[in-house]
Amino acid sequence: MIPFQLNLQSGVPVHEQVAFAAKKAMISGQLRPGDPFPSVRALSKAMKIHPNTAHKVIAQLTAEGLLEVRPGIGTVVLAPPPATGAERARLLGHEVEQLTVEARKLGLSLGDLHAAIDDQWRRLDGHEEELQ
Amino acid sequence: MTSPLCAIELTKTFPRVDALHGLSLEVPEGAVFALVGPNGAGKTTAIKTFLNLYKPTSGNAEVLGVNSRCLGPAQLAQIGYVSENQRLPGWMTAGYFLNYCKEFYPAWSADDLASLVHLYELPLDRKLGQLSRGMRVKAQLASSLAYRPKLIVLDEPFSGLDVLVRDQLIESVLERTPEATVFLASHDLAEIESFASHVAYLNDGRLAFAEETASLTARFRQIEVTLDSPAALPADLPSTWLNPEVSGVVIGFTDSGYSDRSQAEIRSRFPGAREIAAHTMPLRSIVLALEKSAKSSRGAR
Repeated sequence: MIPFQLNLQSGVPVHEQVAFAAKKAMISGQLRPGDPFPSVRALSKAMKIHPNTAHKVIAQLTAEGLLEVRPGIGTVVLAPPPATGAERARLLGHEVEQLTVEARKLGLSLGDLHAAIDDQWRRLDGHEEELQ
Repeated sequence: MTSPLCAIELTKTFPRVDALHGLSLEVPEGAVFALVGPNGAGKTTAIKTFLNLYKPTSGNAEVLGVNSRCLGPAQLAQIGYVSENQRLPGWMTAGYFLNYCKEFYPAWSADDLASLVHLYELPLDRKLGQLSRGMRVKAQLASSLAYRPKLIVLDEPFSGLDVLVRDQLIESVLERTPEATVFLASHDLAEIESFASHVAYLNDGRLAFAEETASLTARFRQIEVTLDSPAALPADLPSTWLNPEVSGVVIGFTDSGYSDRSQAEIRSRFPGAREIAAHTMPLRSIVLALEKSAKSSRGAR
């Protein structure tokens, strides 16, 4: 068993999908700082992915400061590092702009968009309460 | 740097058919390398030529550092080969068969075999001829993994198996990587997409591409451009845009070289575009697009 769920989709690089699922688990509290993170072997076995792909996932999350490899102990989850200015700017500027454009294109109202964001936000929080 | 399996300009001709045309590929160590393509593409011929069951007409294959024409017991003891076409001695019980195979392999591990038998729930006292197809494949795979081969070669290993058996087999093969390298032939693209590290596509004995699965899925997008009013297809589209089609105000094509810069490129070609959608593509759609494109370029010649 690994501490997050994922149904692999076709057409998207597998390591991106697994890394995203892991991040979601960290943000929703399914995985907390200090928790062990599955090894390359465990990840490969549970998801039926190539061990090199599993290794890529762990390397990427480690580079982003979300995991730490402790020799002799294993890989553990870290508290997410504070966002850099560039990361904040990218999300709040570019990605929100894209979302807004897409929403207006589809004819959604600002209220629809707010409600959808609120819903997603609460869903991640809700997961935490369930587990507590 | 040595590759456990590579081919240079490998050609195999039978009296009536040209099965392989100058096949060149290099399988990196530790890869799960999937050779895909339609029935009759030459996948089995490629495998049999690699394993010295066929002699190449020209060109070379090198397997575990040795020319395929010279493969002998020393190499074969390090290769695990399972093919859907292998005939098994149906009168042997599964247990007798495994015991019989053991004698050929110095590195045979009784512990490994025991855990495979346990994992696969192999009925050792039943005759091979009476087992289901799934069980027979499991017996073959157990007999081919028990000596920790450096190279595992599988020819359509999963065809006709139910999902549970397939999952078990994939799991036990993946468990042996990256220490072992896996080369497998399959015509089922959905089945290999998640676990193959590399995909090569063979059609009519020719290799269309061979690359990492992740880079392949990253560079292919199905693009739909919605224009304000119907327009003809512009001339001189990039050669990486496959199968362009117009349907009313929508222009669709497959971008085989998609990157961050593609949106800007598409916009510059279609200044009046109302919308540009880029959809990720499963392996199956990628291969269909390539086949269609190959067919239309043959027709144009």
